[in-house]
Amino acid sequence: MKNLFPIMLSFFVLISCQKEKISIGTNISDTFYLDNAGASMRLLVEGNTASKTFLIFVHGGPGSSSYFYNTDYISQNIENKYAVVYWDQRDAGGSQGNSNGDNLNLPQMTDDLKKVIELVKYRYGQDIGVFILGHSFGGLLTASFMTQGNNQSMVKGWIFTDGSHNYPLNDTLTRQMLLTVGQQQIDQKKNVDSWTTIVDYCIAHPGNFTFEESTQLGIYAADAETYFKKVKKINLQTMINENPTKNLWPVTAILLNLRYSSNAGFNRDLAKTEFSSKLGVVTTPTLLLYGKYDFTCPGGLEEDVFKRISSTDKKLAVSSISGHDLMLQDETFFCNEVDAFIEKHK
Amino acid sequence: MNFLKFSLSLIISSYSILCFSQSADSVRVEKKSSNLSMSYNSSIVYPGVRVGVELPVQTISITKTKKSGKTKDFVEDRFVTANLSWYHHPSFHDNSYLTVGWTMRRTKQSGFVTEFSPEIGLSRTFLGGTTYKVDDSGNVTIKKEAGYYYALVSVGGGIGYDFSKKKHKPLLIFSKCNVFMMFPYNSTIYLRPAIELGLVYKPQNFLCMKVKSKHRNR
Repeated sequence: MKNLFPIMLSFFVLISCQKEKISIGTNISDTFYLDNAGASMRLLVEGNTASKTFLIFVHGGPGSSSYFYNTDYISQNIENKYAVVYWDQRDAGGSQGNSNGDNLNLPQMTDDLKKVIELVKYRYGQDIGVFILGHSFGGLLTASFMTQGNNQSMVKGWIFTDGSHNYPLNDTLTRQMLLTVGQQQIDQKKNVDSWTTIVDYCIAHPGNFTFEESTQLGIYAADAETYFKKVKKINLQTMINENPTKNLWPVTAILLNLRYSSNAGFNRDLAKTEFSSKLGVVTTPTLLLYGKYDFTCPGGLEEDVFKRISSTDKKLAVSSISGHDLMLQDETFFCNEVDAFIEKHK
Repeated sequence: MNFLKFSLSLIISSYSILCFSQSADSVRVEKKSSNLSMSYNSSIVYPGVRVGVELPVQTISITKTKKSGKTKDFVEDRFVTANLSWYHHPSFHDNSYLTVGWTMRRTKQSGFVTEFSPEIGLSRTFLGGTTYKVDDSGNVTIKKEAGYYYALVSVGGGIGYDFSKKKHKPLLIFSKCNVFMMFPYNSTIYLRPAIELGLVYKPQNFLCMKVKSKHRNR
């Protein structure tokens, strides 16, 4: 019995899939992990690695997952031209570890992102071109990365989609948008009860938001976009229903990681975090995309980034039918904009 | 191994406490063979296997008399079990876990079986891809046998059919639903359902244990 466990463990090690596999081709799928500060973060590279152009998705949350962005549409319209890197941040998606909650903070995650880029270059060649795309919280993380040291020299372009680089400003803009649009909707007698609740809350909470107020505004913002018929409804349920076994989703890990990270203490620190004052150092080509109906991270945030960065090559574009998940709600617009941007700067 | 010894002694001592509170019509000690089990251990769609041994601890034959006067006979067996399980979730992880448990199995005269078993154990995962470390200077190395140890708690219940009752074959087939929890997993817990389809082989003379055998009328 004493020898049985190590023997069986060795057997399982032999048959498990830890052998290094680096694929160069037009339709590849490689999964590997980055081990950093107590977390083993999953990276899935799909698409055209032969193009030598890599787009790294930096997901939202904190605690969401890159699995959600790996849609058929993106596979057919982005992965056919470039390689897409789906990175699960620490304590998110398919990333694994033991007691690593102390390392769940923005500086550590910024370091993680830097190492993700270094690892992708190590595997696929130092001559590859890397683009980073931050969505929602990923906007804050990529802003932190882009404004630190010489990090921006590691990437050819920064794509900022429905992102937030300044949480206090985010709260102010969300409240303003809920109040303005809410009042218009009430006047038009649309979803009057729901909007009245939201508007009343916004009137009662004018500024200097506490963490709890900020959270409540976020909940109202997520609800608000669902009141518009033209905005495709996206939630966890609809994403998980889209055949998770096809993509080998670890569904319970995704849900439990999301629950942990979205309630973790570091969210209180994030609520006070802003990068507006540092954006002047950014000179990298930048594409800013947002949905007209995004109450969670309103377009004012992209406008603030656009105004403050020193990049001479920058573009701001808005989807007229999208809410907070532009890449899922207006796929054609998203893929066309991203493709054109990468094509120009690769 | 200390962990295994501790777990076994905890289960056995808990069982002893329970024994004293029961009143039986007749008690005798008999030698009983242990069983071997093997099953397909699927985490919904991801394959795996499980092998184990069931060490008998107690057998209670119960005769239940209904108001109509009809009697119903069944047997309640108690086992201490040790299992080694593994499943393969491509690109996520391979998980091998060693557990000890307490199985409560009820077998009707017809051979129909129901069972419930809590288990505790140790899990070792192996990540589903090459794992790299990158140092602060950007140097990359491969981490071998990357994965984690977790504590594991599991509960499961199932049904089966015991061929030894009517067909005198030393086999039992079963289907079981387990839910296990691993921790600390990213500072939280990890839950996973698993479905077992398997076979218990009941040899006549394998790891024979002294077992308290009782008969009770209800």
